[in-house]
Amino acid sequence: MTAPRWLHPCLRACGLALIAAGSVFPIYMIAIESLKSVHEDVTGNPLIVLHPTLKWYLGLFDPVVWLRGEIAVQSVPFLVWLANTAIVFAGALAITLVTSVMGAYALGRLRPPGWRTWRRALFATYLIPQSLLFLPLYTLVFRLNLDDNLLALILIYPMLAVPFCVWLLSAYYQRLDPEVEESAYIEGASRTTAFLRIILPMSWPTVVAAGVFALGVISSDSIFAAVFLPNQFHQTLAAGLGTMGPSMDNLSVVAAVNLAAGTVVPIAALSAGAYVRGLTAAMVEGA
Amino acid sequence: MAQRVLAGPRPGTTRPLGSPRAVIRRRREIVVAYLLLAPALLFVMGLLAYPIGWEVWASLTNSSVQRVSASYVGLYNYLVFLNDPEFWVAARNTIGFLALTAALKLALGTAVALALWRPFRVRPIVLLAVFLPWAYPAGAAMIGWDRFMSPPVHTAYSVLMGNLSVYFDRWLGNGTWGFLTLVLVNSWRGAAFTGIFLLAGLNGLPRELFDYAALEVRTTWRCFRLVTLPLLRPFLALATLLSLTTAVADLGNAWLLTGGRNVYPIVWTDSFRYALIAGQWGKASALALMLVPVLALLLFACYRLFDPLEEGQP
Repeated sequence: MTAPRWLHPCLRACGLALIAAGSVFPIYMIAIESLKSVHEDVTGNPLIVLHPTLKWYLGLFDPVVWLRGEIAVQSVPFLVWLANTAIVFAGALAITLVTSVMGAYALGRLRPPGWRTWRRALFATYLIPQSLLFLPLYTLVFRLNLDDNLLALILIYPMLAVPFCVWLLSAYYQRLDPEVEESAYIEGASRTTAFLRIILPMSWPTVVAAGVFALGVISSDSIFAAVFLPNQFHQTLAAGLGTMGPSMDNLSVVAAVNLAAGTVVPIAALSAGAYVRGLTAAMVEGA
Repeated sequence: MAQRVLAGPRPGTTRPLGSPRAVIRRRREIVVAYLLLAPALLFVMGLLAYPIGWEVWASLTNSSVQRVSASYVGLYNYLVFLNDPEFWVAARNTIGFLALTAALKLALGTAVALALWRPFRVRPIVLLAVFLPWAYPAGAAMIGWDRFMSPPVHTAYSVLMGNLSVYFDRWLGNGTWGFLTLVLVNSWRGAAFTGIFLLAGLNGLPRELFDYAALEVRTTWRCFRLVTLPLLRPFLALATLLSLTTAVADLGNAWLLTGGRNVYPIVWTDSFRYALIAGQWGKASALALMLVPVLALLLFACYRLFDPLEEGQP
């Protein structure tokens, strides 16, 4: 094994440490800030927390009176936001994965005439910054009577993730050896059985990768969420966070940011390895 | 001709066609394929077609919140912006932002991918650390970064950051610090995604190529330039394309979540402002569409570059 020696080991260790630190540092900063009292936040050392307190986290679940400009807003219904977020994520993710797997199998395996063009057309939609479409999408949502309804997000979020998921999965199915399926047919299996019992289990790392990607994209939107869900009790975390303004004597918003991240980061962290493997599986030439 | 269309893309993927029964089977296959593809197309194209049509139409009218019935004004909105020096400043900023963040993301991402390519003892931990910025919800990340870079309230580091922002704004003109914040957030998130994406690409490349390269090429740098970079080219193009959407979404998030405090003149944030605050839908739509030609050129370039990846293996 004579792989090219990239870097001097010592230099490399420093580089890796720098990469890891740069990635985690902002997350660390916002995490420790949420554990500080106001006094410590103003006068203490910004990099460490000496007297951690959980009061901002606990406060999110109490009725708090918020000062936003001049208006005193009732407490933030944090648990409601959390539940709404779970509903939206689950629904959007399920729709995204099912439609992507179906579409990808059609493009990668059945290959109707013009499949390449379809795949490119789907992927080309990535170049339209979807966040610019919030205005017409809002009129559409309004016409369908879905404004202030979680269903609006569940139906619109797949649009953000499906193109990439289809591309990824179809690349995998396209490279899969057709003989795998052929042998199943010889055994007398139908196409559906062969797909569900053999192809799908084989492609699970790529399906996981697609799911992680979709989750990342879905959880990163706050524009649609904020525009479509004006009512506080129907909001998701992303929309709710935007309504919590910064204030002098309150670090609740920082705690809320951490809790919001806590909904997604653990899932993503657990599947980081599978994500890389799944992406690789789709990209390997002639796998 | 019909035979050739029905014969599918490549020999060996379907059974060779001879009997009429095979032709019928292939036809049924195509029907099934379109049925399976329908939901994905509906969710993407269906949801995109209406808004894009609406946006194009709206940009040709003077529709706004105040007017109940909009009237057709042709290219008036576009001409207004084309003659507006402020638009050109915003356009320059936007293209600068996209170019700068794309370059940063690609450079950092490539470094990350190469660093994580070969196994070492703590690789899973470093991989996880690199993965986190992208997994962190963008809205939450934006609020955190904004609090850190331009603290809205007094904290232990707000004096330092305030001084820095004043220093930069004096040095490079007003709004520089806000712009840098956006570049940093977006590069931090985008480099994580690009790095992991390129790592997957590297993992998928045949090992032998690099073994041969090690025999032929003496220096690491030459090896990178002559072997690694050309092989990574399609992945680099793809990553650029994917990170573009994220860049625009991040701009929107920044504008929305900082309560519009971050009003560095960028075409799309101006569009948000026209739409949500002024209610000038016609103008906002025209503004949103102004940079489409630039994006289309970029898409075309990316397709030329990642074609090899599309072909796959026969």
